Amino acid sequence: MSENYKFDTLSLHAGHTPDKETGSRAVPIYQTTSYVFKDTEEAAALYNMEIGGHLYSRISNPTVAALEQRLAALEGGSSAIACSSGMAAMHLVVTALCSSGDHIVASSKMYGANINLLQHTMPRFGVTTDFVDPNDPNAIEKAIKPNTKIVFGEVIGNPGLDIMDVPTIAKICKNKGVPLVLDATFNTPFLMQPFAHGANIIIHSLTKWLGGHGIAIGGAVVNGGNFDWGDKEKFPTISGDHFALGGISFWEEFGPAALTMKIRAEGMYNFGPSISPTNAFYLMQGIETLPLRMKKHMENTHELLSFLQDHELVEWVKHPDLETHPDHLVAKKILPKGSGSVVVFGIKGGRKAGQTFIESVQLASHLANVGDAKTLLIHPGSTTHSHLSAEAMKVSGLTEDMIRLSVGLEDIDDIKKDFEKGFRAVSKLIK
Amino acid sequence: MFINFKGFKTYINTGGKKVDKNKTTLCFIHGSGQNHLSFVQQSRYFANKGYSVIIPDLPGHGFSEGKPCISIEESAEWIFDLFKELNLNDVVYLGHSQGCLTGLELNNNHPKLLKGMIFIAGSNIIPVNQFLIDLASKDFKKAYKMMVTWGHGKDGAMFTNNMPGHAHFGEGFNIMNMNNDKILKIDLEACNKYDSGIEATKRIDIPTLAVLAKFDQMTPLKSGQKFVDLLDNCDLKILDCGHFLQAERPKELNIFISSYLRKLN
Repeated sequence: MSENYKFDTLSLHAGHTPDKETGSRAVPIYQTTSYVFKDTEEAAALYNMEIGGHLYSRISNPTVAALEQRLAALEGGSSAIACSSGMAAMHLVVTALCSSGDHIVASSKMYGANINLLQHTMPRFGVTTDFVDPNDPNAIEKAIKPNTKIVFGEVIGNPGLDIMDVPTIAKICKNKGVPLVLDATFNTPFLMQPFAHGANIIIHSLTKWLGGHGIAIGGAVVNGGNFDWGDKEKFPTISGDHFALGGISFWEEFGPAALTMKIRAEGMYNFGPSISPTNAFYLMQGIETLPLRMKKHMENTHELLSFLQDHELVEWVKHPDLETHPDHLVAKKILPKGSGSVVVFGIKGGRKAGQTFIESVQLASHLANVGDAKTLLIHPGSTTHSHLSAEAMKVSGLTEDMIRLSVGLEDIDDIKKDFEKGFRAVSKLIK
Repeated sequence: MFINFKGFKTYINTGGKKVDKNKTTLCFIHGSGQNHLSFVQQSRYFANKGYSVIIPDLPGHGFSEGKPCISIEESAEWIFDLFKELNLNDVVYLGHSQGCLTGLELNNNHPKLLKGMIFIAGSNIIPVNQFLIDLASKDFKKAYKMMVTWGHGKDGAMFTNNMPGHAHFGEGFNIMNMNNDKILKIDLEACNKYDSGIEATKRIDIPTLAVLAKFDQMTPLKSGQKFVDLLDNCDLKILDCGHFLQAERPKELNIFISSYLRKLN
């Protein structure tokens, strides 16, 4: 009989058992492009996806598969596909489900690259998106059209930290027969597992907290296996006849795994956004300590929230765990362990004060990433979201004085001391 | 393919190929609370190896509509009628778990119908714990989770899988969740009350293959071995996995099946 291992155990073990030939305890890095076929019959069976296995590392690789299976385990999903980045994961889902003439409903408050892809790139291929307030389920419901193939949002919005009411929106999507696709990068499966709340597909940037050390770029699509793709007219790419593999229907042949197999057969095969086995290994090393790191991330975040709230030079602080956050009640409901370790705040003195603060701290690093073990800072208005117009910034919930802070694992006293240096510089500036 | 059978929309997976009655037909029959997706790594594999493959979703399972069969006897007659509907006469039967009981009953009532029989993780009696039957009625999703957990060996628990990126537990649960939500209880009760298995076993006079699982908690290995002891011409293979061996050890199972079919022909 199998065991139902718990989260911390799965973080360490899922997807791998000691290598039978060598006894290797760690997941081996299969740094290979291809795999010798036993015979022509096996080769044909692998090409035709009749049976599982590996034929070429653009499509699958044993080290990458261990990462994928670990992610499926941690999310309570049916299957997963790892790829070169979170944006590659997003692209894989959109292209697996949408064709020219199709429509997407997406949150208006999310990561700039997600908005870019849907607002500027996909319309060139005939796929349009209506952006709606993620906190307004009625607006989401009204925006769904007969040709809507995806409702997309971020569990915790980047960088505005809006929280989607996932259970409510999942019910709407189920009633409308549209899959709910969520970017769950900021929460990680440690803080919240979206499938348990009714989501259908999860996208991760593994580069962030899952990897956790800022050393490897990677992404993943995790398939809940809980969506009925049976409507051939609505989802022809999943339940209709596939152009290869003898014209099979992925839904009929693979059921809950249909989306994963579609992405494997088309997205990975034709677009090729594969992750390197070495990066997959690095990311798995990070995942091994995810529970420990996330606990510490949240402890430090809560300490720093109090510090910032009490500071005379801080104009405002935004985090869903604060009662003042408009989505605090939703956050309490779906993110009881905490709403992630990104904090946004504004410094008295506006844009110049923000820049001065960032340039004056020493321990915290000024860079374009979040979810590292180290504390990170950035000014979104001049970097990650600089391409957005003033109006689009406002819609995305951004302000010019906003600093995005990704709270790291350093000793909290050292982070506070470092921030005091920044505040002293700001103090001199505004006097 | 979808057909209208006995007045209901009925799904039969054919491994992506058309049914060809001029070839030997491999008929796979799923177990309790399952459907054609129990045989993902057998359906297209054998359809592309020169066989005609049919894997029906029994009524109320998977994509098939219709009133569920409430007994093994009823399931066996449904399958017999399906063979007639499809005009099949050269059939090797492959049953998993409850599908083994259905096969025994089919052969018992229609001797000489089948050319060969393969029993996968099966026995000739499958008593079911009353707790599980009750749970299937009260909280079917919890029952699915328990069955999926009990039904897999170490690969399930460790999330290892020959299908890259796939999770046995997640897929197993969602396959069961595709069915009519009353179906598991009906299936389990059908297994529990079927008591003709031993007599039906004695009437088998064709070569058979039994593939059992060392760590099977649903139809324990000992029960399967007792069943095989009653078969005159059975090739027994044992794999080191759990009940859902067609998903946990597909390559080995397919080799055993291929070898048996070659000998049979």
